[in-house]
Amino acid sequence: MNAAAAFIAWLGAALFVLSEGRRALALGMALITVGFAVLAQTGGGPLAASAFLVGGGIAAGRRFRSGPDVWGVMPAGSTARVVLAAAIGLLALWISTSVTTGPGASVRFAALSVLGLMAARVLTASEPPAVLGALAALALAVAVAAGVAGTSPGPAVYIFSAIVAGGISLIRVREIDGT
Amino acid sequence: MEPELAIGLPAVGSVFAAVLRARPRAALLAAAVFGLLGLAAVVLASPGVTSNQLGVGLELSPQGRALLIAAGAAMVLTVVLAPLAVERAILLTWGLAGLAGMAAIAASGSLEILVLVVLVLAVLQAAAAGSRTFALRLRGPVLAVVLLTLAAVCARAQGPQFLQRLAAVGLVAGLSAAIGTLPYMNDFDPNERTATSSIPWIALIGPVLALAVLAQARELLPSEGGVLGALMIGLGLINSVWGSVASWRTENGAAAWHYSFMADWGLVLCGLGLAIADGQRAAILLLYGIVLSRLPLYLWSRQSLREKRPNDRPINLLAAAMLAGAAPFAGFAARVLLLRGATQLYWPLALAIGLGLLLWLPPSLRLGRSLGLPRGRQAWGVGIALAINVVIGLYPQPFLALAGL
Repeated sequence: MNAAAAFIAWLGAALFVLSEGRRALALGMALITVGFAVLAQTGGGPLAASAFLVGGGIAAGRRFRSGPDVWGVMPAGSTARVVLAAAIGLLALWISTSVTTGPGASVRFAALSVLGLMAARVLTASEPPAVLGALAALALAVAVAAGVAGTSPGPAVYIFSAIVAGGISLIRVREIDGT
Repeated sequence: MEPELAIGLPAVGSVFAAVLRARPRAALLAAAVFGLLGLAAVVLASPGVTSNQLGVGLELSPQGRALLIAAGAAMVLTVVLAPLAVERAILLTWGLAGLAGMAAIAASGSLEILVLVVLVLAVLQAAAAGSRTFALRLRGPVLAVVLLTLAAVCARAQGPQFLQRLAAVGLVAGLSAAIGTLPYMNDFDPNERTATSSIPWIALIGPVLALAVLAQARELLPSEGGVLGALMIGLGLINSVWGSVASWRTENGAAAWHYSFMADWGLVLCGLGLAIADGQRAAILLLYGIVLSRLPLYLWSRQSLREKRPNDRPINLLAAAMLAGAAPFAGFAARVLLLRGATQLYWPLALAIGLGLLLWLPPSLRLGRSLGLPRGRQAWGVGIALAINVVIGLYPQPFLALAGL
């Protein structure tokens, strides 16, 4: 179950990196949320999973309401992004299963792959709606990464990160001075 | 309960100041009341005592508390003696939001909470109107968030020993990215408003963040103190030399101030990296200097920089002496402690730091001149900032004791 959830989280992050349209961005965010919620259930219990679903759901909903009303998956010139999505997935898989040992490989894979892909999305030139979505996913990934430790971090970290993810999505960006 | 109040009260003050923006007097009054109450909560907080009212353990360390008090004092100074062109309510809105975030960073019991607070602060700052794009302003802090989280994963995961060393590299790199020092120097636009520029990260939030990250690093990597220290000393030397040379040679006055913060951070990183009492004391004195003197002087130099009115009056020379770390200012005591600590650890390091210190004078003279001829509130502000720095330099022990050193 956790392995499937981790794969769904990576798939959502890859879709988020590969897309420009609001439908695909919202779907990517929703997939990340569902995958992370399952992993949060293991680390922080039902309260943490519920918080993730609410926070991530708000972020996905906001992405569905802003940006161009198209899917926009893999627009022209996306080869580098495809390579990036695959490479980060493979690197995260290698680190989480071979370099590191012990239980929780799924959590490590999901946290590392989403962190890497969302960082790439923010650090490359992107429009504010995509950046805000990536930041919300990043906030969720920070809490999931806390679950790498042998001991559970408790629900508080998950709930705080869900609040941050939801809150970030609601922020209105003003790009140029005076607007 | 004090840590929660130290976070909550300034945050409420900031919200009031933003909501009541159309009525500046009401905004100023509400923000001032909540801000002062928040500062009182910090002063009254018992360092080292964990509070768990919200399900998250919050604890202010003595060093974090000392720097929060210094940041609060700096804010009072800059708001009361703000230049006429600056709207105090706006200054309080941003300042109190920063103070609330700094209190949350200082009190956070885990690296994840700390990282999330950094993310929130970065997004709030980047979402405001500014001359740089939203994505560009987020680069440094987001890179810090990612590096610090990866470091935490490496530190906690079971695996080979090199993962712990990678975690140490990640923590130092993340800290550097958040503050905006080399090798992750933040993009700086000299014409941008101070509140939305990268200056708050290097001059206000950075000091508290550095101490909080290092406190977490000691818990996460108890056996990698040597690697952490070596990395910090290496980066410190690079920043110290690069910052002072760039501050001297760059054409733009505001950029020169930005580089001077980097140079100061170079010495701070060396002090923190030494991991002996004298190094820690030097770092704390330098951080007091950044928050209480260098930052206010930078704010008061902005108008003179815009009008291109440099001056060579005695007040400018005094400011230059303070910025250069001459006696009897706090920077002098800090440099003596730093050199003594470096000599104890490895004398060639003291030689390298000492040679780097020689580069401090030319940029400091330039920055002192850039203050122009302070008048009115600005003159009072410069005088008070210099006086505070002299007091810290002559009587450092009470200020070090406040930080538990």
